[in-house]
Formats: sequence, structure tokens, C-alpha cells
Amino acid sequence: MIMENRELQDKPLNEKESMELITRMIQNTQHRLERGAGIPMLIWGYATVFTTILVWATKTYLGNYRFGYLWYLIPIVGISGMLLRKKRPKAVRTYIDKVVTYIWIVLGGTGFLLSVTSFWSFMWTLPILFIIIIIMGMGSTLTGLVIESKPSVIGGIIGMLLSVIQVLVQSYDVVMFSFALAFVVMYIIPGHILNYRAKKACLKN
Amino acid sequence: MFKELNPLLHSELRLGVMSILVSVESADFTYIRKETGATAGNLSVQLDKLSQAGYITIEKGFNGKMPRTTCRITKPGIEAFKEYVEALHTYITKK
Repeated sequence: MIMENRELQDKPLNEKESMELITRMIQNTQHRLERGAGIPMLIWGYATVFTTILVWATKTYLGNYRFGYLWYLIPIVGISGMLLRKKRPKAVRTYIDKVVTYIWIVLGGTGFLLSVTSFWSFMWTLPILFIIIIIMGMGSTLTGLVIESKPSVIGGIIGMLLSVIQVLVQSYDVVMFSFALAFVVMYIIPGHILNYRAKKACLKN
Repeated sequence: MFKELNPLLHSELRLGVMSILVSVESADFTYIRKETGATAGNLSVQLDKLSQAGYITIEKGFNGKMPRTTCRITKPGIEAFKEYVEALHTYITKK
């Protein structure tokens, strides 16, 4: 029988009550969603999608390859958004938070490094949009698996499948729109779902 | 053979606190208070007892102008918790 939530006292327990208490306390720390949990995904998702559309539009209608520099808006807007969002220190820091942080440090850093290398290298060209979707899709899928968020797992996998279009279809328009669509599926939709669920969970508590 | 249960952990509130801290990197005072339902005064007393035993560390700081107390379990605390759970098993399996 699971003990109901009530004020814990300084009193001894029997063995069964002790085990039930331990189980309940540990479970409570694992199934916890904080309000605004999806905000980082939304910041990076929208930054990427709007920048992609902007780069596509300026190149298509103005025809100047220098508009490629607009890709730098993604890290500028993304990092600014992350710094500006109202963030209280976390009341509890779990090991899952640590794992997710490390996933994004490694994958985000790799993506940024490859983007810069691709942009500035004159000796070799990378199918950089394809590679970025794969890396960010891995990040979304891994994060979804760790935090048990099905939308992030499914979004990440669909995003990575969309990257195949980049390899098969040699059309600038299709490549750009599939890139934007991948980020809608990997970040924007799961981010909104996560925020909705976190808001619901916080209201329940 | 029944193993002796650590009296410091064989208390509802202190066991609740240790169960929370063993599964997280850190937790602040308000979170622990919310999860255990304890009063601030009672929780402070129990946290001090666990800290004096070396089972947890308590860091006092500020979040802007608001005071903030963060608790972490220590290695001896993890060991003590592990031994407590093993001792519990001897009672539960023998019955």
C-alpha cells in the first residue's frame, strides 16, 4: 500500500513503511516537469526556422550569395534568447539534468564547429544542412529518451529521416524547406507539447 | 540474521530527506520542505542532525536578495543509506 502524501514527522517507521517512503520520495524526484521545460527547444527551433526562411528568401529574391552570413543569426538569436529568458535557479538538480546538459554541450558544440568549418573552408565542402539535422536529431532523440518524452524521440527520428531528402533531391528550395521542417518537427512541436505538459503538471501540484 | 537499522535514518522525516537527496545532485530547502510537508523549523533541525553526522552538506547562499539553502548528500551519506536499505531487506525477507 503506497503511503499518502502528508507531513513527514520525526518518528520511527516499520520496515515496510520505510521502503514505501523511500520508493515514493525517489519516484517524485524522477517524474518532475518544471514550468517552461520546453522553452530552450522553442528558442532554438524558432531561431533556426526563421533564419532558414530568411536565408532562402534573400538568396532567392536578391540572388547574392553573401546572404549566407545570415546563418550566424541562429547562434546569435539562440544564445541571446537563452541568456534573456527569465530563469530562476533550479530547486532541484537531478542527474538527468546533468546528462541532458552534457548531450547539448557536446552535440551543440559539434554542430557549431562543423558549421563554421563548412562556412570558412575553401578546400572541401560539407553537406552541412544534412549533417546539422543528423546531429540535432540525435540530440532531440537522446534527450527524449533520457527525459522520457515521446514527442522529442519521434520528432528527432522524423527529423533525421527528413534529412534523407537533402541527399536525394538536389533542389535548393526543397533542401531549405526540408531543413526548416525538420526543426519544426524536432524542436518546435515537442517544445510546445513539453511546455503544455509541464504547465499541466505544475497546476496539478 | 537481522542487521541493526541506523537510528539516524530510521526516522520518517530524515529518511524522507535522504531518499530525496540520494536520487538528485542537489536540492534546495524549499523543495525538500514541499516534498516532505515538514515545517521549516522541524526540517532545519533534522537537516542539521544529518549534516553533523556527515551525511549531507548544507550550503547557504543567495538567489538575488533571497536566501537560498542547497543540500547535497555526501559519500558517507550514500554509504549509510545503502547499508540502511540492505538492513531493511534483512527484515523484510526474513518475515
